[in-house]
Amino acid sequence: MDENNLIKMELTVNGEAVSMIVKGGRRLLDFLRDDLHLTGTKEGCGEGECGSCTVHLDGQSVLACLTPMERAIGCSVLTIEGVGSPTNLHPVQAALLDEGGVQCGMCTPGMVMSALDLLERNPDPTIEEIIEGISGNLCRCTGYKKIIYGIQQAAQELQAASPAGTVKESVE
Amino acid sequence: MTILNETLQEEELKIQTPSISRKDEYESVGKSVLRKDSVPKVTGKAIYTGDLHMPGMLFGKVLLSTQAHALIKSIDVSAAAAVPGVKAVLTSRDIPGENAFGIAIPDQQVLAETKVRYIGEPVAIVAAEDIFAAEQAISQIQVEYEPLPAVFSPFDALKPGAPAVHAKGNILYHTKVRKGNIERGFDEAAIIVENIYRTSGQDHAPIEPEAGFAWIDAEGVLNVFSGTQYAFRDRRQIAIALNLPMNRVRVANMTMGGGFGRKDDVTAEILVALLAWKTGRPVRLVYSRHEAMMSQTHRHPTYTRVRTGANKEGKLTAMEGVIYGDTGAYASLGLFVIKKMALHLGGPYYYPNYKSDSFSVYTNNPIFGAFRGFGVLQAAVSHEGQIDELAEKLGMDPIEFRLRNCLRPGLSFSTGQLMTNACGIATTLERLQDYLVENGLSIELHPEVSA
Ligand code: FES
Ligand code: FES
Repeated sequence: MDENNLIKMELTVNGEAVSMIVKGGRRLLDFLRDDLHLTGTKEGCGEGECGSCTVHLDGQSVLACLTPMERAIGCSVLTIEGVGSPTNLHPVQAALLDEGGVQCGMCTPGMVMSALDLLERNPDPTIEEIIEGISGNLCRCTGYKKIIYGIQQAAQELQAASPAGTVKESVE
Repeated sequence: MTILNETLQEEELKIQTPSISRKDEYESVGKSVLRKDSVPKVTGKAIYTGDLHMPGMLFGKVLLSTQAHALIKSIDVSAAAAVPGVKAVLTSRDIPGENAFGIAIPDQQVLAETKVRYIGEPVAIVAAEDIFAAEQAISQIQVEYEPLPAVFSPFDALKPGAPAVHAKGNILYHTKVRKGNIERGFDEAAIIVENIYRTSGQDHAPIEPEAGFAWIDAEGVLNVFSGTQYAFRDRRQIAIALNLPMNRVRVANMTMGGGFGRKDDVTAEILVALLAWKTGRPVRLVYSRHEAMMSQTHRHPTYTRVRTGANKEGKLTAMEGVIYGDTGAYASLGLFVIKKMALHLGGPYYYPNYKSDSFSVYTNNPIFGAFRGFGVLQAAVSHEGQIDELAEKLGMDPIEFRLRNCLRPGLSFSTGQLMTNACGIATTLERLQDYLVENGLSIELHPEVSA
């Protein structure tokens, strides 16, 4: 390993402070998967086509395969591992299971991250807006319908759970 | 050639139909059940092959052929082996067992020896301390090729004097299906339509590209982990290539990120096993999307000429067809896919007289193998085209025409197999009719068809 290429990665990942000296010049995807062993974020293409590497960087969804790792220094990163746990699923995750939107599962983490991003910006999306919201995520198994219904169901549940008015206000 | 009874009597049919016990309530049939593996998947906890990691793990990488058809004059790995961090650079010479594998017939080389047959054929493999060293080493391998004339369509491959992809010739398999008397069938037809249909190749593009992980445990057993559709067949082929007894090889199936037929073949398994065996270290080999598209199997492109006849009453009398399936550089399952296409060329309809020939042909294209539908999809393009055109020419409603001709219990398939209980085409068409009526819809033919 080239000693001159070591960098200090200081950032927040899934709410926890991370400080590590690692080899620089790689992708955020490599840092998450190889250094932090957060392998829930997947690599389907490595060239920005499939969306399976979608994570949130300071609240914005980004493709970790196109993001230089240095770009994340000082930022807050959210990956699928920080979204919900098997015993405490996020409503989006629960709804995807409920609607049968998970098959091989390789696209699923990226889908969940894109859905969360969509629902944060638009808590009450139409079907067309959901399709638009996940248009950067490819799925080869489900045919999308069940994923779309899952996201719709999650939106309804999240809306019902939040006190009236607050949802709309959170959208600028 | 056997001519079978075309209709079965009620009694005979009952004997042929296995009795199925029916219950009102089933544990899972008719219910929405949670997939066992879906909670780990939706939380990112499911472990796919590319997620595996072990202390001391090396990174594998494959050098793919840049030539469609060429002799390998020499391979120089010295510069690659000198890249810091590189632990192994292997070519065909380093294979301890047989340099041959294949899901149906072992016509494929683990690593190309004297000749490459398609762009994307594995030529050498590398294991290194990190992926950058592995990539650098791959770029340092010098392969000297002597290009040979190549063939890229079954028609070119079948021309007299065409370059031979394999020594035994370019026809992998010829399937013949014969039923009834084809001449008589066409004599009885009032209308005959004849067309040529082409279908293109297609990548399965499972979101998880092919990957393998191998390590040797304390007992000296070679463990290979991969998302595979057929662990036991992989194990057999790994053992042969590495010259190991089967009980020294263990294949474990990881969560698979989509297969669709393609991971029925050996993909990364033998290559990663070789690297682990030679280095004694755990090795992970993950194909990039580009490498996977070049190197792995695809759906067969096909070329079909088909002639179908029907009488004035709207009954099919005969179908005759010839299929050329491009199976690419190696057999994979191309023998069976194109064979199946010959059987299914007529679709779910009854033809008293049926004749089809299919040729699975080697070319210097990428390998074409199993893909959902297994040849039946390609056939559907032609039989549905034929049926629509016949209905149109006879002035009949296309659903009515199909209902008049579809397979039903007691009728025979192209092979002579008598339909018994699993024959739902008529019911499906009737439901479709009801649906159209209920929703006030009607079938509109494509302007080109109705013109
Ligand atoms: S891996 Fe990043 S978009 Fe496909
Ligand atoms: S579930 Fe397999 S790719 Fe979406």
